[in-house]
Amino acid sequence: MLSGNLTTGTMRVMPHAEPQLRQCIPFQSRLRITKVPLRPSLAQHTSSHEKPSYRPAASGVATVSKQGKGPKSSDNKATQSASSPDEVRNVRLKKVADLRGQGQEPYAYRFDRTHYTKELQEQHAGLAAGAEDASGAVVAVAGRVMAKRVMGKLAFLSLRDDKGQIQLYVEKARLETSQPGGFEVVKGLVDVGDIVGCSGGVRRTERGELSVVAEGVQVLTKSLQPLPDKWHGLADVEKRYRQRYLDMIMAAEVRDTFRARSLIISTLRRQLEERDFLEVETPVLESVAGGADARPFRTFHNSLRRDFTLRIATELHLKRLVVGGFERVFELGRIFRNEGVSSRHNPEFTSVEIYQAYADYDDMMSLTEQLIRACARAVCGSTQLTYQGTPLDFGPPFRRASMAELVREACGLDLEPAIMAAAAEREGAEGGTAEGEGAAALAEAKAAAEAVLAAHPDREVVKALPKVRSAPSLGHLLNVLFEALVESRLTQPTFVTQHPTDISPLAKPHRSKPGVTERFELFIVGREHANSYSELTDPQEQRRRFQQQLERHNGARAAAAAAAAAAAVQQDEGSEASSNGGEGVSSSRPSQAQGGTHGSAAAAAGSDTSAKEDEDYEISMDDDFITALEYGMPPTGGLGIGVDRLVMLLTDSPSIRDVIAFPLMK
Amino acid sequence: LDRLCRYSLRVYTRLASTEGPLSSLAAAASSQYAPARPAPFFENRWLALISKMTTTEYVLPDQWSEDLKDEKGEPMSKSEFKKRQKAKRVAAEKAEKEAAKAAAAAAAPPKAPKEDGPALEDDSSEITDPTAYFENRVRYINAKKGKGVNPYPHKFNVTMSLPDYVAKYGSLEAGQQETETTVAVAGRVSSKRASGAKLLFYDMKADGVKIQIMADARNSDLSLEAFTAVHNECKRGDIVGVEGFPGKSKKGELSIFPRKFVVLSPCLHMPPSLHFGLKDQETRYRQRYLDLMVNNEVRSIFFTRSRIIQFVRRFLDTRGFLEVETPMMNMIPGGAAARPFITHHNDLDMQLYMRIAPELFLKMLVIGGLERVYEIGRQFRNEGIDLTHNPEFTTCEFYQAYADYKDLMDMTETMISQMVLEIKGSYKIQYHPEGPEKPAIEIDFTPPWRRISMVSGLEECLGTKLPTDLESEETRQLLADLCVKHNVNCPAPQTAARLLDKLVGEFLEEQCVNPTFICDHPQLMSPLAKWHRELPGMTERFELFINKREVCNAYTELNDPIKQRDLFQDQAKAKSAGDDEAMFIDENFCTALEYGLPPTGGWGMGIDRMTMLLTDTCNIKEVLLFPAMKPEETGPKKDADK
Repeated sequence: MLSGNLTTGTMRVMPHAEPQLRQCIPFQSRLRITKVPLRPSLAQHTSSHEKPSYRPAASGVATVSKQGKGPKSSDNKATQSASSPDEVRNVRLKKVADLRGQGQEPYAYRFDRTHYTKELQEQHAGLAAGAEDASGAVVAVAGRVMAKRVMGKLAFLSLRDDKGQIQLYVEKARLETSQPGGFEVVKGLVDVGDIVGCSGGVRRTERGELSVVAEGVQVLTKSLQPLPDKWHGLADVEKRYRQRYLDMIMAAEVRDTFRARSLIISTLRRQLEERDFLEVETPVLESVAGGADARPFRTFHNSLRRDFTLRIATELHLKRLVVGGFERVFELGRIFRNEGVSSRHNPEFTSVEIYQAYADYDDMMSLTEQLIRACARAVCGSTQLTYQGTPLDFGPPFRRASMAELVREACGLDLEPAIMAAAAEREGAEGGTAEGEGAAALAEAKAAAEAVLAAHPDREVVKALPKVRSAPSLGHLLNVLFEALVESRLTQPTFVTQHPTDISPLAKPHRSKPGVTERFELFIVGREHANSYSELTDPQEQRRRFQQQLERHNGARAAAAAAAAAAAVQQDEGSEASSNGGEGVSSSRPSQAQGGTHGSAAAAAGSDTSAKEDEDYEISMDDDFITALEYGMPPTGGLGIGVDRLVMLLTDSPSIRDVIAFPLMK
Repeated sequence: LDRLCRYSLRVYTRLASTEGPLSSLAAAASSQYAPARPAPFFENRWLALISKMTTTEYVLPDQWSEDLKDEKGEPMSKSEFKKRQKAKRVAAEKAEKEAAKAAAAAAAPPKAPKEDGPALEDDSSEITDPTAYFENRVRYINAKKGKGVNPYPHKFNVTMSLPDYVAKYGSLEAGQQETETTVAVAGRVSSKRASGAKLLFYDMKADGVKIQIMADARNSDLSLEAFTAVHNECKRGDIVGVEGFPGKSKKGELSIFPRKFVVLSPCLHMPPSLHFGLKDQETRYRQRYLDLMVNNEVRSIFFTRSRIIQFVRRFLDTRGFLEVETPMMNMIPGGAAARPFITHHNDLDMQLYMRIAPELFLKMLVIGGLERVYEIGRQFRNEGIDLTHNPEFTTCEFYQAYADYKDLMDMTETMISQMVLEIKGSYKIQYHPEGPEKPAIEIDFTPPWRRISMVSGLEECLGTKLPTDLESEETRQLLADLCVKHNVNCPAPQTAARLLDKLVGEFLEEQCVNPTFICDHPQLMSPLAKWHRELPGMTERFELFINKREVCNAYTELNDPIKQRDLFQDQAKAKSAGDDEAMFIDENFCTALEYGLPPTGGWGMGIDRMTMLLTDTCNIKEVLLFPAMKPEETGPKKDADK
């Protein structure tokens, strides 16, 4: 296929015969050492421009600049230090020019590393202090210079790569036998923060530091910005998230968190694939946002001239696939909710949703236990771990308790009989007469709940009173009580089961108890980590539930609009209250842990002001989904797990921003 | 409307042959016993729709709406609507009873002259009108609910998947039965045939395989009457659970002989016919679940897609790459040249762009010390939809510190050729670039692959030398003249980069049927690639073309922050000159580069296009489960209650 005339000229840089061969050899064993011949002409005159205060420390980060990061701290120190970041940058730019002047490209094209530093540390663990590797093998390492100190004709660089750290032992005489003038380069042109490649033998210094004895040193990438002085000591959390790459350079545990994240995701994937689940991709851009109750992002497609919303869950599309005959599917991917940013919420987050035909919520409970245990073992090596000082045990079967039971335990109030009675009544008489009695039962229950909450010693719990008053149904009331009294106290893994039908629009009615569904949420350290149900497969019932959800949502929206209009009269006073109040109540519920629905859990909860914030968006019926159900969906168990929260849990991270590489910032 | 008209043309002939398709159910019933197969569901549905629009007969819609008019064009009140609806229901019920009677009369005499009980029903007694079919089924489940029976059971314990069943019992002899074994399987009924008063044959499908259910009243614990009742409730399309013993029929058909038979989820609509399949593209994409139900080859496309992604993941994992996730919403859409989607974050009152590429974030992670990273995920581009473009699509990008584009070329050859070998069993595949009806071509993935240096390759084709300074106005003019000379159309703005791109498309990409690398793109086309170490003005970049389409794009990454900023500024100039696909300047990224990005090779592949090649499809919609579609003319009803 090669037409010679086309491949002449530049093609010499791409030999055809070799690549296959080279590719087959693992990266680490490619022994092509790059010798770095440097011309002896040295630009010594530039080396003194930068006056960093190198601490003679063997490890850690050397101080490059005393310049503080914020303008506030710089006021005093700037006068003391000769090198502001701008000055450092100019000095380093000059070094870039100098290197080029010497014929060395300060932004190299490639480097053949023979070993990761960690591999060398492991291979030579037994090497005695002061001893040299007897084999005399030449190794090549590459990474970032984290510290540097020069003592006469000797220089020590601390080099860090993806997997570890090693010392570069640069002795002028030894280096310059193969690289004349090399020592001056190391001394004058290499800064902390640069990426360098180094080849040489291995020895352990008298002080016990394993080192590569430099026979060639090459600047691979010249850094222009000095690395920050201190990192973790400074509480500039914002900067850590905004410049994650610096966070990673400075703190090995940050990189470990993201390795753990990757491991958790691949463990989930492997576990599911072993159980014959098929991974699929469903659209992010949807015409109707469904499968949860949350404010969606909107966007516009120019050439189709139509609006799209970004998915708030993958549920409805995945269930269509179960209808289509994919009996076990999952999607691990990004979900988007147009909500406030907090330590537990990022507008985009990752969930895994799993659907298994012929399974029910009971089966999904054991699947959940298995998945979480597998991830814990992969990351922590054990099913026992500590989260923010609290010991957790995932070993034994997780506790299972119904929502009503937990509320009763917490406050003595048992709403289950009333919920069951109301549901039975609703079933008997359609609308009409039962409505009045239902209202009476609700009012009675609310009065009891108010009494319980008002008497509660915990102020936070008392705050839920407005939500109790505005609860539109017994089911919502139970949920309000659960959130106020129980949720935060569920530290050890607990399956909370049998949620009221009113707050679970996509879950199947319980097979024996009217008014509640076959659903569970998994709570650990007071946070929801999974949400699951026996899926509702009855299209008529599904339509009715959607309808009800729509009515409640629109009702709340209209009420909020009316309240807003009223508040507008009272002017700014109200607007401030609304933003504060809204934040407080909304953060607890339309949660991201679940890939599944929250149903109308958040709907209509909270005061008028929060409702305004929560509900001011349009929701609509996904008719096509109901049509799909009309074609028959097998009995199916569905499960959503919030991946970010799981990563937080297993990496002992307090904020979601610690586990998302680039969280959204103001 | 446009689509409806197209349909009406097709369906009209059919309309002419029947007398008033929606007239009476009795007519429908009488035609049930005609030897012809019932028309495929969708044609029927359209037929019903068309008849609503084209016949003078007034048809009551399913739902009342504010703007509903009666046959005289007067607005219809809700109560009037309800009255009419009831009347229609009564009429339908009556008609159905008559039809059933007629059916019984037609079926009874030859089959079971002595029996008085209801006969077994099968596909031949199906109602052919889709609306009536649906209404009938809804009545049936409502009746069940009325009796306190849940038509949607909570759980059926499946002990064996259907593929496992086939694997385990496929080798039984014809007529052999394992009556001592009990197995429970489940799936969707694809056809139902009665044979006498005591025997029924079903075909059941699940997970892409099919077995037969041989329901014999003699194997059932139920009385004949109860047996008949249970089975008469089941229709084609229903999800059923069967517990029984395995065996083969006398004809050698692998079967299950049920002791227990449960409908787990009734199918309320007439399912698409297995016999005719589902061919209509619009329906296939819009209602993918129907497509998957009927067309086995569609199922397999998505298995292949999953295998491709698995292969790439495994390939990178074994080479020490770390899978990461970077934001899909950004303040600045970087990493590629494309028009982004814009959205708005309410709480922060902030405009955000959907990502067009993860490139810049992944490079920041390499700066952070994760030396080998990759991300497989969705990208979004606000572009037109065509055979190879969907607004959201899936890519894999990986970045490897200390590697360059030549390393990546070798890696690409290895990865893709091994992938093809593993999935297709050979380096050579058959592909139909213009659809299954048109001739096939062979694509040979045997490595090594051809490599063409872009500018010298172009010079050969054009027979002229191109100036070394590609940035000058003279060069731009020369390229514009070449385009005119060779009849290559380049829409404004005619920048040098765009002109070159068109010429390459015309002359080089056309040669790339077998996998071919086009390399060494000019810097002005590649603002994120590193300048070529030997060819001035060029970059160390390659694109892999297969079947004349770009599948991969990779380069030695530009890591000189000063040059990067300059190139971004050129892009900004191009943008202000009207090239709205030029890149945005990302100042954060430039700052990150100043902390030092090691020498790095970066690589991207379009998963959708790769999947198209390996599934022999030429429309990207075929490899997406739910492709983006134009809004439906008969769009979803809004707020049906008000």
